[in-house]
Amino acid sequence: MTTVPSIGESTSGARYAIEILGVTKQYGKVTALGGVDLDIEPGEFVVLLGPSGCGKSTLLKIIAGLEELTEGEVYIGGRLANYLKPSARDVAMVFQNYALYPHMTVRSNLGFPLKMAGRPRDEVNQKVEVAANLLQIASELDKYPDELSGGQRQRVALGRAIVREPLAFLMDEPLSNLDALLRVQMRSELLRLHKRVGRTTVYVTHDQVEAMTMADRVVVMRGGLIQQIGPPDEVYRRPANRFVASFVGSPPMNILDGRIETADGSRRFSGPIPVDVPGLAGMALDNGPAAIGIRPEELLLVSAGTDDSFPAVIELVEPVGADIFLSAAVPGGAVLTIRVDAETRVAEGQSVHVRIAPGATRLFDAGGDRIPAGERA
Amino acid sequence: MSVVVPRRGAPGAAGAIAAEHARSRRRRRLRGLGKHAFLIVVTFLLVAPFYYVILASFKNSTEIFTYPPKLLPIPPFVGNYQKLLGDTGFLRWMFNTLFVAGTVTLIKVFVDSMAGYALAKLDLTGKRLIFVLMLILLMVPLGALIVPLWALVSAMGLTNTYLALILPPLANPLGVFLMRQFILGLPRDLENAGRLDGLTEFGIYRRIVLPLIKPGLVVLAVIIFTDQFMSFVWPLIATSSDNLQVLTVGVAALRSHGGADYGLWSAAAVMSLVPIAVFFFVLQRQFLARSLAGALKQ
Repeated sequence: MTTVPSIGESTSGARYAIEILGVTKQYGKVTALGGVDLDIEPGEFVVLLGPSGCGKSTLLKIIAGLEELTEGEVYIGGRLANYLKPSARDVAMVFQNYALYPHMTVRSNLGFPLKMAGRPRDEVNQKVEVAANLLQIASELDKYPDELSGGQRQRVALGRAIVREPLAFLMDEPLSNLDALLRVQMRSELLRLHKRVGRTTVYVTHDQVEAMTMADRVVVMRGGLIQQIGPPDEVYRRPANRFVASFVGSPPMNILDGRIETADGSRRFSGPIPVDVPGLAGMALDNGPAAIGIRPEELLLVSAGTDDSFPAVIELVEPVGADIFLSAAVPGGAVLTIRVDAETRVAEGQSVHVRIAPGATRLFDAGGDRIPAGERA
Repeated sequence: MSVVVPRRGAPGAAGAIAAEHARSRRRRRLRGLGKHAFLIVVTFLLVAPFYYVILASFKNSTEIFTYPPKLLPIPPFVGNYQKLLGDTGFLRWMFNTLFVAGTVTLIKVFVDSMAGYALAKLDLTGKRLIFVLMLILLMVPLGALIVPLWALVSAMGLTNTYLALILPPLANPLGVFLMRQFILGLPRDLENAGRLDGLTEFGIYRRIVLPLIKPGLVVLAVIIFTDQFMSFVWPLIATSSDNLQVLTVGVAALRSHGGADYGLWSAAAVMSLVPIAVFFFVLQRQFLARSLAGALKQ
């Protein structure tokens, strides 16, 4: 049992399963993490989402103790973990390429962490059997990893984490090596498993579908900094800034640059399309460059020109099954992506009228931050 | 020459197609014969001198020079082998060689794989510098090292000891270089999994890395063992005692004693090959598996 120094008491006691305070990571002159604060509740499924090189895997490895942090504190279960060995942190990790020991059978792979912890052989065997049954790999126990399919290997990797019964699971893009169909299946299985096992999980991915479907809270990262923390729906509907708006959502949010201007005694957004931003008059926002963001499904095709619609020409029609993505050029030169249902009859070159759904406009200031007003709840 | 094959169903097409097939078969058979003839010639060139030495080892000194030569040693003359094992220090040389080569191989496989692990995976200050220095060392010819090495061994009072034969080859960086390259190919996540499972750095090396680089260890062992087995210049310089002579030096010394005894020399050459052949046959499955794996790796 590792003795925890008294200075290592978490500020919140043991309320959080994992608490990250001001963590930075420098590789020479390169900053991988530039000051990260994050609290993770017990049992919560938190997804770290961001593009390659955003620092999400580095943060996960710092929590696991596989990377040393430059500054800051990491608390796991209320204990300062900065100086604890990875094996003493009470976390288990599932790696992107499974990291199964190729020279050991599935049974040995599953039991290895327990064997290393000095658990009695009977207990090891019993826990291995339980995990194997839970993951439906009981018939594969005497096989070697290279005799298993990708999905089975992934299950073994999960099983190796489960047998340890840790405080938290850390998962580093665990589904990225699977083909598309298997990924969808494993995603559901992982979620079911999480609900059954109920352990805190920190899950790293660059796949926003995984993030949106699995997370209790999504942590969007970029350039070593957290851009936004929130439930998937909030991140999608109320992105904190232009980066989150364009990174989350497929196809991404339409972002149109323009200016806040005062004309005829009233303030308005002047851009490639006429937009009415509710509450703009009352906002503490100077005149100058700004941008608006509208989700593709919040642009509606209307049959004839109305006061609140604008004309556009369909440039491209991309059917994707249940939906059709349209690229529509508006008179100002901008191209908007519009999502319509598969029943909609449109053709390339067709002139249409487009209307913005009420309250669908997000306003971003010159720095890219969202000004919270005029949105749908 | 282009061959016009009649279209299917055309008059006489079946006969023409059959004839073309027969021609094609003949061409293939001729090509096959040519290949085999070439391979037979090459094999003969490689095996003939070896066979001649084995033959000579079973002939007495008169038979060796009779013309035409006997191609089968019947009845075999075993006097050369009796003389080799009875009148020379051959068994002692063999023991010395096996002891030195075996010890060097064991120590080097262990030390080189550990050093390779450290250079491949650990976060060491000056790791690159050490690696570059090792590469430079690999390029220094033995001839340039012999005199300072002898001076060093002599100053340490190790001349005419087994240590003089064992210590210097341990400093050869080739094994470290090979092991580093093997270990670099192992995914970092495997070590990290080991760390999370509670393994120490040495535990990771012993329980994860070593089993996974076993084919590499075999390749290294074969290289070191054969190199030591055939080493001549350094053992010749480092020892003058008869008791410490190794095979290469002892067999060479046979020439300076007792005149030109080709039968005895041949017997010594054949006997010298036995351990290295056994060593290779024991490890050949692993050795070939590794070579093929390397060749076919995507």
